[in-house]
Amino acid sequence: MRKKLIFVTTVLLGAFLLSACAGGPVHGTTWPGLATDGGLIYLADGPFVYAITLGDGREVWRYPGERNSKLVFYAPPAVTPDGLVIVGSAGTDHSLIAVSPNDINPDTNAPFETWKFSGAKDHWIAAPLVLENKLFAVNADGNLYVLDLQDGQSSKKATVVELDAGRLWAQPTTDGERVFITSLDHHVIAVDANTYEVVWRKDLDGSVPGSAVLAEDGSLYVGSLASQLEKFDPATGDHEKILDTENWIWGTPALEGDALYFGDVGGDFYSLNTVTGKLSWNPVKPNGPITASPLVLGESVLVATESGAIYEISKDGQSSLWSQPGGQIYTTPVRAGDLILVTPLGTAAYLYAYKQDGSQAWPPFTPEN
Amino acid sequence: MWDFFISIFVNVLIWIYDVVGHNFGLAIILFTILIRIVTWPLNAQQMKSAAAMQELQNDKEWQAIQKKYAKDREKLAQEQMRIYREKGINPFSSCLPTLIQFPIIIALYQSIIRALASTPLDLLKLSRSIYLPNVSELIPLNSSFLWMDLGRPEAVVLFGLAIPTLALVVAITTYVQAKLTMPTATTPGDQGAAMSSMMSIYMPLMLGWFAITFASGLSVYFITSNILGIVQYAMQGKANWHNLIPGFLKRKE
Repeated sequence: MRKKLIFVTTVLLGAFLLSACAGGPVHGTTWPGLATDGGLIYLADGPFVYAITLGDGREVWRYPGERNSKLVFYAPPAVTPDGLVIVGSAGTDHSLIAVSPNDINPDTNAPFETWKFSGAKDHWIAAPLVLENKLFAVNADGNLYVLDLQDGQSSKKATVVELDAGRLWAQPTTDGERVFITSLDHHVIAVDANTYEVVWRKDLDGSVPGSAVLAEDGSLYVGSLASQLEKFDPATGDHEKILDTENWIWGTPALEGDALYFGDVGGDFYSLNTVTGKLSWNPVKPNGPITASPLVLGESVLVATESGAIYEISKDGQSSLWSQPGGQIYTTPVRAGDLILVTPLGTAAYLYAYKQDGSQAWPPFTPEN
Repeated sequence: MWDFFISIFVNVLIWIYDVVGHNFGLAIILFTILIRIVTWPLNAQQMKSAAAMQELQNDKEWQAIQKKYAKDREKLAQEQMRIYREKGINPFSSCLPTLIQFPIIIALYQSIIRALASTPLDLLKLSRSIYLPNVSELIPLNSSFLWMDLGRPEAVVLFGLAIPTLALVVAITTYVQAKLTMPTATTPGDQGAAMSSMMSIYMPLMLGWFAITFASGLSVYFITSNILGIVQYAMQGKANWHNLIPGFLKRKE
């Protein structure tokens, strides 16, 4: 009898421990996605996408209305020209879903689904790119899916561009003619925005978890986990390494005029003059690894770090603590009007809203249940 | 401490992955062989102890104390421990390898999930737990192996039905291994044989369920481990092949 008890207990314990490893959607499994349409804030964080008012940080709705163990949201939502909010699931249900923020189900207080695309084979980590009436969405299955936003279908079909590029985690970038896609499998790929044919494809020495960024002179800049910043000719894909960094470049560089700002996972922050190709100042080291993209604020740049702090870097490279919500900050802060939105991991609150001077605009947002 | 343990697993797995030409399935198989080699003495000890326990069932003194102290469990336990000591048998050594298996299974599962890094935070954590020099060249790991994505449960779609083929192989090999190592009941009410018989049913079901539910990389581990277990028993001449044929013993009798 005792042996039976030990056996059954061992089996149940094993099952429980393994199940715990693969549990359902929870807040904090990876960093949240954040976006705004100027009226509402959209926070994709685990089991739900929350819609929160910009004015006072109040939850207006959440999608889905009730927790669904198959749906997990981390990809930053995208907003279409006609106001639909596109959310991609990283759960076992790999759907890309469009919800209407103005059409709320009174029973669940969740928006109705306008359409759904379930043709992808893997997670949605990247925000889709809206280009005129098309949606360019990259999936962790290595494919680009192009969806027609005006075909009126509720169950969407997509043009599948098989890129065989490993996991795609970053939002595509466009110059209007081409769509530039970066991949964890070390590729940078340009796809014709009209014919969907691959224009060029280049290999780098490391993964590219961030997006490419287009400079005013038309050059394309890409940071990689090979600790290198590369400059591309968007037409031909010819590229050259222009900077070795101390550590991995994770976040998408931010551009303002001729200045390209970016950080690395070792905690160094850089400013590169795209005209001269030289650093504007020696790298500054705020405090903690940097995976988020910088947020340009006109006269300064905000840098969020894994140490849970946000630093303000002046244009001459002076660093000062701007705010410290705590936890770890991996998600790029988002600017919405006069507010700066920050979503840390490891804090009780999910979202902080700051004024430009670093003071809090409203109490941090914490979902009620 | 546990995280450090996982970290060792991850580094060994990724090192093997690098050596075998970026094949994670092969890395899991070789890693399982490595674990089997490391735990070989334990498994050999388990077989030895199981055999000694089996022999004990036929020992006259053992049978005598079972009868004599049938109604005094405390005294029976004392006498059993005395005989164990006299014959140099450790009754728990037959359970030890099974108990060691569970933390290894859990650690391996967590290592596979961590190594394949399906979210940005996982990838960042992975980068910090690898101590190999060429990390940026190695990641992300290639999770494809044969027809499987090792980071996901496996199923082959046939005629519109998703058939968990790997789970079936896991269940069958677990059943075969359990049957081969199952002692033959020599006395009526032999608890050891009854326990083994119960495990030969429950273990395939449980591991089969794990294989359906969790990453297929874990199934690759189960299958490799089971096959190696069968080979080890066969090599040591302990495999009880007659147990595989239902009703064989009855017919023989």
